[in-house]
Parts: sequence; C-alpha cells; structure tokens
Amino acid sequence: MRNARSPLAATIRQNSGFLGAIILLLVLYLIYNLLHPRGFSAALLIQNTNESVAIVFLAMAQTVPVLLGGLDLSVGAIMTLTNCVASVVVSGSPQQILLGMVVTLATGTAFGVANGLIVVYGRLQPIIATLATGAIAVGLALFIRPAPGGTVDDDISWALTNDLYELVDTYGWFDADAAWFSSFAWVPVPLLIVIVIAFGVWLPFKHTITGRTVYAIGSAEGAAYMSGLNLDRAKIAAFTLAGFFAGCAGLYLAIQTSSGNADITQAGAYTLNSIAAVVVGGTSLLGGVGGAIASLVGALVLRVISFYFRIVSIDPLLQPLVEGLVLLAAVSLGAFRTLRVKNQLALFR
Amino acid sequence: MKLPTVISAAFVGLMLSTSLSLAGPEVVSGPGADPECFAPWSAETKYMQWPAKPGPYKIAVVNGFVGNGWRIQMIKTAKAFAEDPSIKDKIAEFKVVSTGTDAPAQLGAIEDFINQGYDAIVTIAVAPDGFDRVIRLADKNNVVLVPFDNVLDTDAVMQVNEDQLMMGRMWAQFALDELKAKGVTAGKILEVRGLPGNSVDRDRSIGINETFKADGGAWEIVSVVGNWDDGTTQKVVADAIAVHGQFEAVVGQGGSNGVIQALSDAGHPWVPVAGESENGYRKAIAKYSGEGLKGISIGQSPGLVAIAMKAAVSALEGNVMPQLISVPLPVATYKDLEDGKNYWSDLPDNFFTVNEFPPCGVNISGPSIMAQTEADLN
Repeated sequence: MRNARSPLAATIRQNSGFLGAIILLLVLYLIYNLLHPRGFSAALLIQNTNESVAIVFLAMAQTVPVLLGGLDLSVGAIMTLTNCVASVVVSGSPQQILLGMVVTLATGTAFGVANGLIVVYGRLQPIIATLATGAIAVGLALFIRPAPGGTVDDDISWALTNDLYELVDTYGWFDADAAWFSSFAWVPVPLLIVIVIAFGVWLPFKHTITGRTVYAIGSAEGAAYMSGLNLDRAKIAAFTLAGFFAGCAGLYLAIQTSSGNADITQAGAYTLNSIAAVVVGGTSLLGGVGGAIASLVGALVLRVISFYFRIVSIDPLLQPLVEGLVLLAAVSLGAFRTLRVKNQLALFR
Repeated sequence: MKLPTVISAAFVGLMLSTSLSLAGPEVVSGPGADPECFAPWSAETKYMQWPAKPGPYKIAVVNGFVGNGWRIQMIKTAKAFAEDPSIKDKIAEFKVVSTGTDAPAQLGAIEDFINQGYDAIVTIAVAPDGFDRVIRLADKNNVVLVPFDNVLDTDAVMQVNEDQLMMGRMWAQFALDELKAKGVTAGKILEVRGLPGNSVDRDRSIGINETFKADGGAWEIVSVVGNWDDGTTQKVVADAIAVHGQFEAVVGQGGSNGVIQALSDAGHPWVPVAGESENGYRKAIAKYSGEGLKGISIGQSPGLVAIAMKAAVSALEGNVMPQLISVPLPVATYKDLEDGKNYWSDLPDNFFTVNEFPPCGVNISGPSIMAQTEADLN
C-alpha cells in the first residue's frame, strides 16, 4: 500500500468530501444543461451565476465561523442589512457609487468585527451571540428600509449582472466588438466577481498564521492555546471575514434587484441554506476541516438541485420534499467514509 | 476565415439580431379585449399590446412562498385551470415552481423560463421591487410576464389584482351601515390588521380608517395586528376584548376564524363583523346572523391565478390588454349566504370559499379543488 501514503493520495483522502461535492456538482450541472433547451449557452450561464452569487457568498461567510467549531446565525441578517444599506448609497456619480460599495462592504465587515468582539470578550457561544446580533441587524435593516424599494444605479445593475460584453459596452471602456475581446466577451461578470473574491480573499487568508489558527482552534482549541497561537485574534478575524463575505452577498443582492428589502423570512432562509451549503461542501460542523471554496461548491450544488424543478415535471407541492431527499442524499455521500473506518483517527492519516 | 474571426462575426451577428428584435409590449389606446373579465383598474390605466403569437403556448407559474392554505389552493387552482376545456388547447406546456421567499431564486426561475422559450410567466412576486432585469429580458424576448396578488411597483408589466383599498372601504361601510341600522352612532371599533410592511395590509387599513373618519361619528378605532393568521388573530382579539371590554364592531383583514373564536370564547355579544372569505367564518355568519353576527365576507381569491393565466393567453393572442387588471371583489353578506353555494357546512374551516369568476369563465369552485386528491391532479 505504498501508493496510499503518497501525498496525492493523502490529499484526495483528506478532501474526499470536497471532491465528492465537485463531482456531484459537475454531474448535476452537466445533466441540467443537457436537458435544458438552451443548455451550454452563455445566457443560461449568466442566469445561473446570477441567482447563485448571494448564496455562494453567504456559504463562504458561514464557513469561517464553522471552521472554528461555531455557527454564525447572523450571516443572513447581515446580508439583509447590507442589502438595505446598498439600496441607499449605491447611486449617483461613478465616484459616489464606488464609495457606496465600499460603505456597504464596510458595514458588513464592521458587523462581523462586532460579532467577533462579543464572542471573544463577551465569552458567549457564537450561536447565541449571533442569534442576538442577527436580530439587531434585521432591526437596523427595517429601520433603514421599512418598505421595500430604493434605487441602485441602473447601469451598474445591468452591467454587473451580465456578460463582459455588456459591462464594457455599458461603460464604453473600449470597443466591445474588438476581435481580441470576442473570445471571452461571453464570460458572466458575476462569475468573475465570485472567483476574484473567493481566490483573492479566502486563499491568502487561509495561508496566514491567523488563518491556520482558525483551523487549529476548530481541531483542538486546547492544543492551539498551548502552542502559543493568538486565539482571540483568529476568532475576531474569522467573524470579521464572515461579515465581509455577507456584505458581498448583500451588495450583490442590491445590485441584482436594484433595490433593498428588509425581508426577515429571506434572511432566515439564507442563513439555514448557508449552513446546508457548508455541510454539502464537505466542511465539518465540528470545525477544523474544510474551507470556503468547498462551501462555494456546496452552495452551487444546492442551487443546481433547485434548477431541476424548472425542466423536469414534478408536482409543485412535492418539490420541497424531493429537494429535501436529494439534499439528504448529497450530505450522506460525504458521510459514507466515516461509516467505513474502524478508527476515527484513520480519517486524519 | 480564422476561428476567432468566425466567432466574433457570429457574436456581432447575435448582438445585432437581439438588438433588432428588442420588442416588448406597445402602449396603445383602449378599450381592451373582454372588458367584463379584464376590467381596467381606473380611467387612467394604460393599455398594452404584444405582437400576436401563434398558439399553443408554453406557460409557467413561478410562485414564491408556499406553505399556507391560500397558496396551496392557488397552485391547485392553476393546475386545474390549465386542464379546463376553455384553455387546455391553447396551452402546450404548463409548469409550476415555488422558489420560497428567495428573491434571487425567483428571479432566476423567471429568467430560466424565458431562456427555455416559455411564452408567458405568471408570478406572485416575493418583493414589490427588483424585477427590472427580468422585465427587460421578458420584453427583449416578447415574453408576457404577469404578476398577480403581490404585484410590482411598476407600470411596465401587465398585472392582475383585486382593489385592496376598495375592499377596506367596503368592509368599513358595511359595518357603519349595520351599526346605523342598530341605532349605534359612536363607540369602539376593533380593526385587525395583516402582515406589517405589506402593501395589501397598508391599502386595506387606509380604506377602513378613511371610511370611518369620513362618517363623522365618534368612532374610536383600536388597531391590533393579526398577521392574517387565525391563531395570531384569535390571540390579539382576545387581548383587545380583555383590555377594552366591548366593541361595537370588528373589522378584520384576515384570520376571520380567529375573530369569531375569540368573540365566542370571551362571551362577547355578537356584533357586526367584516372579514375575509374563510369557510369557517361564513359558516359562523350563517349560524349566528339572527343573534346579531351581521357579517360581510370579501376575499382575495386564490382563483386570481386563473385570471392571470387567462390574461396572459389573451395578451399572447395579440389582444389589447389593460396594464393593471382589476378583478371584481367577491362580496357576500349574511343576506346572501347559502350552504353549498358560497359556503360549505360539511367542509373544513380553513379554505377560501371564493374561487370562481363567472364573467371570466373561471368556474373551478374551491371545494371541488380541495376535494380532489393529488393523484387526480397529476
């Protein structure tokens, strides 16, 4: 069994949940495209990425506190709050729009910092602390926007929810019909936004000492403490990052709907779905194993499952049942490995 | 030609073709088709016309929240109406999805049906705003988008609803008339409101309050929030009775079964009551109207979905349609209640009695739908 101990085999073994999720996603999305009358078209890809961005960001937000071994019940509420903030500030001249976006993301980040401070210095369980701060966030959102509405700049809303061609064409940066540009003009802007933030923010963070400390806390907090790691800083950083990702979700939601809506039911549904996405992606709710990229994939799996109801005829009143069963099956796939091992330590080999 | 050139040429061609086909409805002058059924909201309502398409059509219903009796009845009505002989031949494909209270998912589902080449999409919007992108895409692809019930704050799409302001006014006017007949000209009125922040709740409440104010009597309106839900309503009405003692009349927006239950539990004398169209509420009116429960029942009907579907088909056939269609309010007072006709004593309390709109040829009664099993509808 020499081969089983090679680095590649170990990586595959240790990330089997994540790999399973990727394979599941690819298979599900491939079949969806095959069944869809306009499968494999740019329009379909744009539509699919658009509706996935908010849940993808929220799943990434949820991942970081989960890696600590906690849960953040305020991510949906922060998304709702930042959505309402954005519906007030993201309009006007290009400079004002840019400033508005920064303000929106800063609001989410600040809320995350507050969560972190309460958890660390208030010594509260994350799940309880964020339940309370989530209610505060929704309260603020209702205060800012008692009735749905608001204005987000039309151009930005159209340009950022379409392909690169429309983005360039809307702002006239250069000739959008240029030959060199045509080969990637079809790429959806939301896809790029997600990739840039996921790989530009999460991966660098993961490799810092603070990032590794987050994993260490989730695996064995006592050992991490004894190793002299700065636990408080890592916990605050984790909630801050969660706030930032939730802010990204709220900002995109505002751009996508060109309005703000303090929808309490939606906030709750998104929080629950973010936890489901984290689990489907292969991140352990006990902490220490997984990552935001895995949750990104998990969120996409969740979304693709719901895409099927539009092309396959299933009784509308049975759809939630079917969705639940498929989800249960998806989560169970990741658990198979745990059932087979005789000694749980073998999982970390 | 080299490959990049071919691709870019194809791409430019695609862009040209889409910009040329940029269409959508044309604003025209009225009157519209079938005004008995598709009544314009007001004299200022504009009219729209889409280019006629040959049938049969592909129609989708994109629902948001699912999980209360009203929505389930609405979905069942939609499915039953799609099988109705008057419209069956005009529908090639019919699909219903519920996205939950999730704006991106609902927008995505609508866009998906546009991409799939559906001709019309009927929807209950999860928010009154935020549909600009799908409206733009629907216009681009000549797809008829018809929001109903929870409509959008826009005049760019054709919408179907009942006049909530008028409903509030009629409720209040009925209570006033009944009180006058009893010789009561002043006193406390209990108003039971619906889900806060909702435009339907807002409009109904405005209608109720302005009518009482206009009357000039010394009415004191006590407002409680019942969320249109029987349980919540029963609790808040019971609390209000405990605090205020007695009311001259109760004007409730919904959860009418709860109003009746609370009045009867508290031993409150029967007074004029205005409410929604729940079967249990109508049963109670029929039973106790002789003892003073003079009731009026007006409902937001789940059958609105059928009218929205019918309007979509009519628009696709190229008919001139009002932008905002006002569906007549289905009103029944204690004088017109008749067992087996507009309420059913042998059926449960919690379904909505009004489902039929004879001027529109929508003749699917609530009970016939609720009596059918899932298997029958598949």
